Amino acid sequence: MTLTLGDRLKVRSMVYVASEPIPRFWPMRTFIHHNPLFGLEDRPFAAAVAEGSRLFHARGYLDRLQYQEYRRAGKIDDALMRRRIGDFLDARTDLPPGLDLKAWLWQLMTGCGRFKAVEDGDFVNGAGIAAVLRDEARPVPVDDLDGALRGILKRRYGSTSPVYRHVDALFGTTIGATLDDLLTKSCLDFFDEGQSAWQAPGREAGFFLAWKELARRNARFLLRGLHLRQVLAEEETAEGIVAYVLRRLQVPEAAWQGYITRELTRMHGWAGFIRYRMGAKHYYWAQRYPADLVDFLAVRMVLGFALLQEGGRRHGTPASAPEIAALLNDAPQEAYLRHELYGGTILPAWAHEVDDALARRRPAALARIAVAYGAAKADWENRRAAQALRELAIGVGGGAEGRLAALAPAHLDHLLSVLRDWEDGEGYVWLQAMESHYIGELAACINPPAAPAPPERRPFAQALFCIDVRSEPMRRHLEALGDYQTFGIAGFFGVPLGYLEYGKGTEAHLCPAMQTPKNLVLEIPAGLEIAEEPLYDALQHVLHELKASVLSPFVAVEAVGLLFSLGLIGRTLAPLGYQRWRARLHAGKPITRLLLDKLSIEQADSVMRAVQRAMIVRALAHELRIPRDQVTDDDVRNLREVALGNEAGPSRLAQRLGMTEAAERDFLDKLRGVYRIDRAVTSLQMGRLGRIGFSVEEQVRYVMQALLSIGLDRNFSRFVLLVAHMSHSENNPYESALDCGACGGGKGLPNARALATMANKPEVRRRLRERGIVIPEDTWFVPAIHNTTTDVIELHDLDMLPARHLLYLERLRSGLGAAGRCCAAERMPLLDMPARLATEPFAAAAMARRQAHDWSQVRPEWGLARNVYAIVGRRALTEGVDLQGRAFLQSYDYRLDPKGRLLENILTGPLVVGEWINLEHYFSVVDTENFGSGSKVYHNVAGRFAVMTGNQSDLRTGLPSQTVLKNGRPYHEPVRLIAMVEAPLEFAKRTVGRIAKVQALIGGGWVRLLILDPEDDYRMHVLEDGGFYVHPRSGRDRHATRENPVLETSPCNR
Amino acid sequence: MDLSFWILAALFVPLFPLSWIFNRLVATLPAGSAQGLAVLVLPQLGIELLHLIPPALFYPALVRHGVMVMATASALLYAVRALSARELGVWTRLVLCSGLATVWLGWSVGAPMAVLRLMALGWGLPAAVALYLTGILVRRVGGAYVGLHGGLVAVMPRMTASLVLAVLALTVTPVFPAFFMLWKGLGSVPVAWMPFWLPLIFLWGWAAGRLFQDLLFGDYRGEPVADIGGVSAVLIGLVFVASLALSLVGSGGAL
Repeated sequence: MTLTLGDRLKVRSMVYVASEPIPRFWPMRTFIHHNPLFGLEDRPFAAAVAEGSRLFHARGYLDRLQYQEYRRAGKIDDALMRRRIGDFLDARTDLPPGLDLKAWLWQLMTGCGRFKAVEDGDFVNGAGIAAVLRDEARPVPVDDLDGALRGILKRRYGSTSPVYRHVDALFGTTIGATLDDLLTKSCLDFFDEGQSAWQAPGREAGFFLAWKELARRNARFLLRGLHLRQVLAEEETAEGIVAYVLRRLQVPEAAWQGYITRELTRMHGWAGFIRYRMGAKHYYWAQRYPADLVDFLAVRMVLGFALLQEGGRRHGTPASAPEIAALLNDAPQEAYLRHELYGGTILPAWAHEVDDALARRRPAALARIAVAYGAAKADWENRRAAQALRELAIGVGGGAEGRLAALAPAHLDHLLSVLRDWEDGEGYVWLQAMESHYIGELAACINPPAAPAPPERRPFAQALFCIDVRSEPMRRHLEALGDYQTFGIAGFFGVPLGYLEYGKGTEAHLCPAMQTPKNLVLEIPAGLEIAEEPLYDALQHVLHELKASVLSPFVAVEAVGLLFSLGLIGRTLAPLGYQRWRARLHAGKPITRLLLDKLSIEQADSVMRAVQRAMIVRALAHELRIPRDQVTDDDVRNLREVALGNEAGPSRLAQRLGMTEAAERDFLDKLRGVYRIDRAVTSLQMGRLGRIGFSVEEQVRYVMQALLSIGLDRNFSRFVLLVAHMSHSENNPYESALDCGACGGGKGLPNARALATMANKPEVRRRLRERGIVIPEDTWFVPAIHNTTTDVIELHDLDMLPARHLLYLERLRSGLGAAGRCCAAERMPLLDMPARLATEPFAAAAMARRQAHDWSQVRPEWGLARNVYAIVGRRALTEGVDLQGRAFLQSYDYRLDPKGRLLENILTGPLVVGEWINLEHYFSVVDTENFGSGSKVYHNVAGRFAVMTGNQSDLRTGLPSQTVLKNGRPYHEPVRLIAMVEAPLEFAKRTVGRIAKVQALIGGGWVRLLILDPEDDYRMHVLEDGGFYVHPRSGRDRHATRENPVLETSPCNR
Repeated sequence: MDLSFWILAALFVPLFPLSWIFNRLVATLPAGSAQGLAVLVLPQLGIELLHLIPPALFYPALVRHGVMVMATASALLYAVRALSARELGVWTRLVLCSGLATVWLGWSVGAPMAVLRLMALGWGLPAAVALYLTGILVRRVGGAYVGLHGGLVAVMPRMTASLVLAVLALTVTPVFPAFFMLWKGLGSVPVAWMPFWLPLIFLWGWAAGRLFQDLLFGDYRGEPVADIGGVSAVLIGLVFVASLALSLVGSGGAL
């Protein structure tokens, strides 16, 4: 079979369309919180949830019982629920007479203890229920049983479902599970990023081609009886194989799109990871070992087809779509019984008999059983439905039970229809009612600023924190200490940069995931000296090599196994002490500087030379054991030129040391291969050097934008802290999920250092002054990092601090330390630590440090769980309010933003990051298994880029249950992000209207938008159902003077 | 007379093909408790019948070997069949038939009657408990076809724990009486027969594993259902403890 280009393109475009709803999955080293339904964000929230639930077999809302629990806790707005019930009933014309349906639906929501009020059933109908309710003889379920069964089966076995799924469902086989296992193994082999000691061969050719080569002679497949050679010989390309298999399965072309979608979404973790790789041009592993979703689909289709063929040969099961259709059409009774038995929906009392009859394959017996079973099932379903309705009616009270029994069968059908339709949208109503409650809470705690602004006092220090919810408690406690003013800004400080850390070989993108940084920043050691590798590091390197080797563990385990046990005991029994001891053994990181300024060509060339010479010196020491004092600069220069091919060998050093030609060649090869002193690499690096740094104008723009976006354009204090954040935990594949989302799951310190370096430059300040931002001469920007696991803030680049500032350093440090301890005291009891820690800040801080180093700790911190608000406005609105670490706080002063450009930036950057974080948590809670990643306890790292459950599974994409659940109940309360913007209503509407993406998010209900209009007496305008309404609890006059909650709750202020 | 004793003994201490009748006989009893009682009493009755015929050593080697072959084949056959059984009652009866067949092995190598009785008890007792629990499951859930609801442990933890104990005891897990009795009873069987027993023990374990997989794991998908009482669970536990003590003492220091 030969495919035309058109055919290939058709398959490719189908795969592209099918992949659109699959969320990209970033490698876990830089965990990106993302909306699992990102691909459906162009639809309204409720519609997207319905579609996502269908595609990923997941739940989009919590179950009713959990919402009822929230209602009992006062977290649900009853008025909104009643309003929604009224709207729903008003829109219907098929209401059964005589029933107070508002009361019925209210009872259903608030009093019904079932997950579903009336379970669906194949035979449930008004006549059957009426007969049960009146205790009459049940009508014969159906006259034409075969016809009815064909209808039932047709609904359940669509042509877009994979054939193997039908076979599994009808014959109790496990082809789907086996296929998933085989595909997972194939993916693990190919996508491995260094975890395996032995790598799969031929990966450079791409996933499908590499797999194809292996599959032809794979003993594992042969042992399973899979005849892949024949299939693989039919087509060369991945698209060709996909088309070939679909044709062999005789899937109608009209159903291909749906079929491909179902195949890809079956393992959406792997599919999402491949989708990420396809788009990540900078991703090293993707560049080196390319793969796309067509490859993935082709491998899956071939394996699935081979398994079906094997099943057909061994067990006589159908192996194509027409064979399935024939079974459903020609033997509906057998097919129905199979469906019931293997689908697990059979009445238990019948299971054995049906199993026995199917095994014996006697048509007469099967027909007899099918008729009898159909009647029994119909009776059971109608009894169950009648019982459920009766329970509901009893809950409604007021004679509802009698009126229910009097309903005609047709009206009972209407009642069922009303209840089912309501239940389809019930989750969304609960969600809105919960959000309404939180909107009310926010409206009540907002502090409109005093009308005449108080005179400004110069604070001791100003601190710019990330908008992350974990910054809120720290800011609150710091402000409560005294002369500190804090601001919220996205953790990358508005400076998107690619960062090459000292000692690391790959570039990290420190900016929101949807941006690609243009500028590269290099970290270089300030000492300009190559540190010697300490003994411990060298020993560790050797042990690591031993562990990674295939053979060495056999011989080395007795020799060095005991060494590992020291770590095991230390980490388990005394994690803090062990950590301190290890830290002493390691060499500390040297003082470094960031290469921030743009390079001229000469400078770039000079940098290149300097780096390569340093690498050569290091190579000489490591590879040939030649210390620096035996090598001259000329030797190094000459070696470099020889390695680059600019000069002919032998090198001067080789001649002087009498190296053999082979030894020199070997060394030069290492220089080129390992140390990358190579002409092609040099050329590439020179191109990259062009990306290094920022021009002065760019620096001025970034500093100005950062300051203006948070409303800081005057009254600068002596210290302006740029506080990035990070987390620290042991044995935690999800560690980067606790880092900064605005930095692409990285640590934001380089961005803070970059902005501080820019802002401290006299030239930058001069140009800022020309533009109206006057930064006093004694103001110094200091980068810092907030460890959210330990609540410690560490100041950086203090060696650059002007001497006169050193006098105030102690005060600054003690303030930060006190605030950190207060934070720990607030957080520790929430992590199931003793409640007394709330009043013992020092003990709480020690406990937090222990958490960070305890390798058995599955929940080192709560991270971003319980996030609910994003507040874009001045700090004065929430200053002193205990927001319980649940709000993203972005500082913004609309008065400095006449054109709305700054607000645009905030809405497109930080707000979208907040939305992704919020929805990642939302969906991980409402369906911990399908959108979340299940329990951490069963997780294993896969290929160094993800985790799986058990030894092989689909990649787990969401958050683990330990992050969002507490004692099996939701800790994170799943509501959509409630974003409040302080700005005039019309101004905000205009700004939102200019950004299509944000408009879609807000209009589609992915984010709840509130506008706090300072020019309308601080009334809060809530966007709901496409229009704004003024929240009744908002407005300056509605806010009574309240005690500062910090003073009441914070142990540090007692 | 001799032959009829043989036949009756092979019916009550089931040996293929008469084990088919034993199986049907137990299955036709209406309640789980009655079935449980039957599997306790009938094998003991069969051993009493064996007591009435001359000991195995008085028979020619050909006969003894024939019995051993039949018993081994019978045990293997029912163990294999148990692998595919999903109905708990059927599964229990099949494993019981498989296990009781080994009593004939013990008889053919001249194991004392007391040991044979304890061997029968070692299988009969957990089978009786399992059949009793099967009856409860049928009454409460409608059937005892495992795998339909999954995750039974979540809704019936005591019931599941008792069932797990019974199944482990029935499949000759160490520490349970059948394990000790097996060693004692078959201690004199020539080593050449070992290759047949190892697969047998493996098959029992596999069958138990499959049962547990369907019974214990996954999410429960059925209707709400009441568990057995705490007292019942404790009593079942005590039965196993008592049987363990009895087998340890009664085996006369088998191990």
